[in-house]
Amino acid sequence: MQVAPATALSVLADPPVRMVDSAVMDYLLIEVVNALRVSSAVASARAKKIECDMVEAGLVLPAPAPPTKQQNPRDSASNTSSKVSGSGDEDEGVRSRLEAIGMHVGGNFAERLCRDRPLFSDSLDVIKFVCKDLWVSCWDKQVDNLRTNHRGVYVLQDNAFKPIARISSWEGRQEALKRAKLYVVLPAGIIRGALSRIGFHGTVVPEITTLPQCTFQIKLPKNT
Amino acid sequence: MATTSKQYKAIGEDLWKSRTDKINSELFALTYGALVVQLIQDYEDYAEVNKQLEKMGYNIGTRLIEDFLARSSLGRCSDFREVGEVVAKVGFKSFLNITPTVTHSGPPPPSSRPTSTAQQSGVPGSSFILTLDENPLAEFVELPDEALEGGLWFSNVLCGVLRGALEMVQMQVQVEFLSDVLRGDESTEIRVALLKYLEEEVPVGDD
Repeated sequence: MQVAPATALSVLADPPVRMVDSAVMDYLLIEVVNALRVSSAVASARAKKIECDMVEAGLVLPAPAPPTKQQNPRDSASNTSSKVSGSGDEDEGVRSRLEAIGMHVGGNFAERLCRDRPLFSDSLDVIKFVCKDLWVSCWDKQVDNLRTNHRGVYVLQDNAFKPIARISSWEGRQEALKRAKLYVVLPAGIIRGALSRIGFHGTVVPEITTLPQCTFQIKLPKNT
Repeated sequence: MATTSKQYKAIGEDLWKSRTDKINSELFALTYGALVVQLIQDYEDYAEVNKQLEKMGYNIGTRLIEDFLARSSLGRCSDFREVGEVVAKVGFKSFLNITPTVTHSGPPPPSSRPTSTAQQSGVPGSSFILTLDENPLAEFVELPDEALEGGLWFSNVLCGVLRGALEMVQMQVQVEFLSDVLRGDESTEIRVALLKYLEEEVPVGDD
């Protein structure tokens, strides 16, 4: 290699940011939702089957109407992270999976972003980091509006939230809105994961009233 | 005047540079990785996960090709060899910013036709192998032993993308991984083999 040692080392220390086209990410996210819908149905079907088998084998009493009652004896072989709990709402399965993926992405990505940053001074500082650095890296702009009640609740508003900016449905705006609500779960997970990795374990609730505007309500515990 | 390999490279570079909308490839890698993990947990069967990834890729590919054609305004490829060049140098470059190397191979029975003849070297049976020296999907990935034994092809979505995209331009291909560095092989190779050309037809139920 004809590279001078200094350059090679500096590349190693500060590798150039690799980029991919954002259209690829958009298409991937669309398919992620579809794929998770199918896979969560498969997983919950398997869980139900195991439950039926155990009931037939007499190991477990047949479940009363709310199936969340019996849990312990049933050492379900399927992923226990599935928070479906037989609620029959398949969207629940997709939602929890999307949030889990978001948290994984958000946590790891926040680590990368915070590499050269000094320590965060307080929760407002962290929220500002989310509003500026995280938003810009993920969605190419900053948050448009930040409101807080200074008691741990923050509301971030984005007037043209990138993941849902181009959603449309041939069934009309209402349908588009409904679908958009599913697509914002992953970004909410990203925010939650980032906050969690930084050390602030709170909840993030996304809300859409009119496309493409989206708000995220973040509740952080008082004084970590 | 056939477009040379260098020209395709240049086209690919231009397309990549002209794209204003780019994201950090780590985001992409993290999302894809988390998805694969979730699919493995849900299906508990690596062959099924491979299939699902390929299916996902197929759906993505059918959309991606439109994006590609709109952006690149490249004409129809004259033969399968050219398809390989365009896929590697323009396609992969403009979307993933990587340029895999292409190795072509013609159909098994020796053909007396020289490859420079326009229509004829797209004979079913021709194939090309893409060798990816970097894979943006596999950026932080290490496969556990059971995934290795189970036969997981981590980046199988790429096979689906190629299959879907090429099907939309009337080529039925078989795409599969030959080797993957994640599995401990020396290189990551994808083989694309032409099965047949498809006739244009009205999609089922579309009239």
